[in-house]
Amino acid sequence: MKVRLETFGPTTLVLPQGRLDFASADRFQMQLEQALAGAGTAPAALIIDCVDLDYVSSAGLRVFLRAARAAERVGVSFAVCTLKPAVRDVFDLSGFSRIIAVHASRAMALQTAAGPA
Amino acid sequence: MNERRTSVPSDATQMPILTRFLQEFWSAAELPQADALTFELALEEVFMNVVMHGASADSVPRVEVSVALGDGALTLTVEDDGPAFDPLSLAVPDVTASLDERRVGGLGVFLVRRMMDSVSYHRVGARNQLRMTKQVAR
Repeated sequence: MKVRLETFGPTTLVLPQGRLDFASADRFQMQLEQALAGAGTAPAALIIDCVDLDYVSSAGLRVFLRAARAAERVGVSFAVCTLKPAVRDVFDLSGFSRIIAVHASRAMALQTAAGPA
Repeated sequence: MNERRTSVPSDATQMPILTRFLQEFWSAAELPQADALTFELALEEVFMNVVMHGASADSVPRVEVSVALGDGALTLTVEDDGPAFDPLSLAVPDVTASLDERRVGGLGVFLVRRMMDSVSYHRVGARNQLRMTKQVAR
């Protein structure tokens, strides 16, 4: 799985591409931890843009859960956006869309992240 | 009835082989892509469960996977010769728990149960057999 990072002011956008399964989960977990840590200063918001994420299994959900908790601990807002239908299904069935902020588009996620906390 | 079968050792590194096996069946049978991911997820969750629960110090279980298409329904069967283990006996996760209270154990099997039309477990002789069926739109 490839992962790209983009920054918009205090917001870090992470773009995983392909399949988030048991094989790619550990590495993605590390990449998210690094993104959270930033260059010594935590970003104000961490958004996972799933526009190119085709597949997520329970191993992948675990990574989202850990990242959401880690973000909360350090006071960084955390959200996901642009889920493909198959990924959205997994988020909905698992109840994750209730505990993690899900936005329909990147623009909406960025807007929410930039707004008052 | 269109059927394919393969078998691999119960080892996480075999997962890509199983995914490819499923994808090849999918293209050959010209099934809709939307359902492919559902079955790929089911196969990953069930196989990884066997990998995690089935291993013992002296033997690596053999896992046999078969897919069968009939009457518009696809049946995925995963069998292994590891110790008796019924994944359907795992506690159902509380999907309404908060971020802090949320546990991830049992989530994979829970997803499989929700996504499939039916899931059944049988201990057949010295083998675990998990059978999952879902109607696939054509």
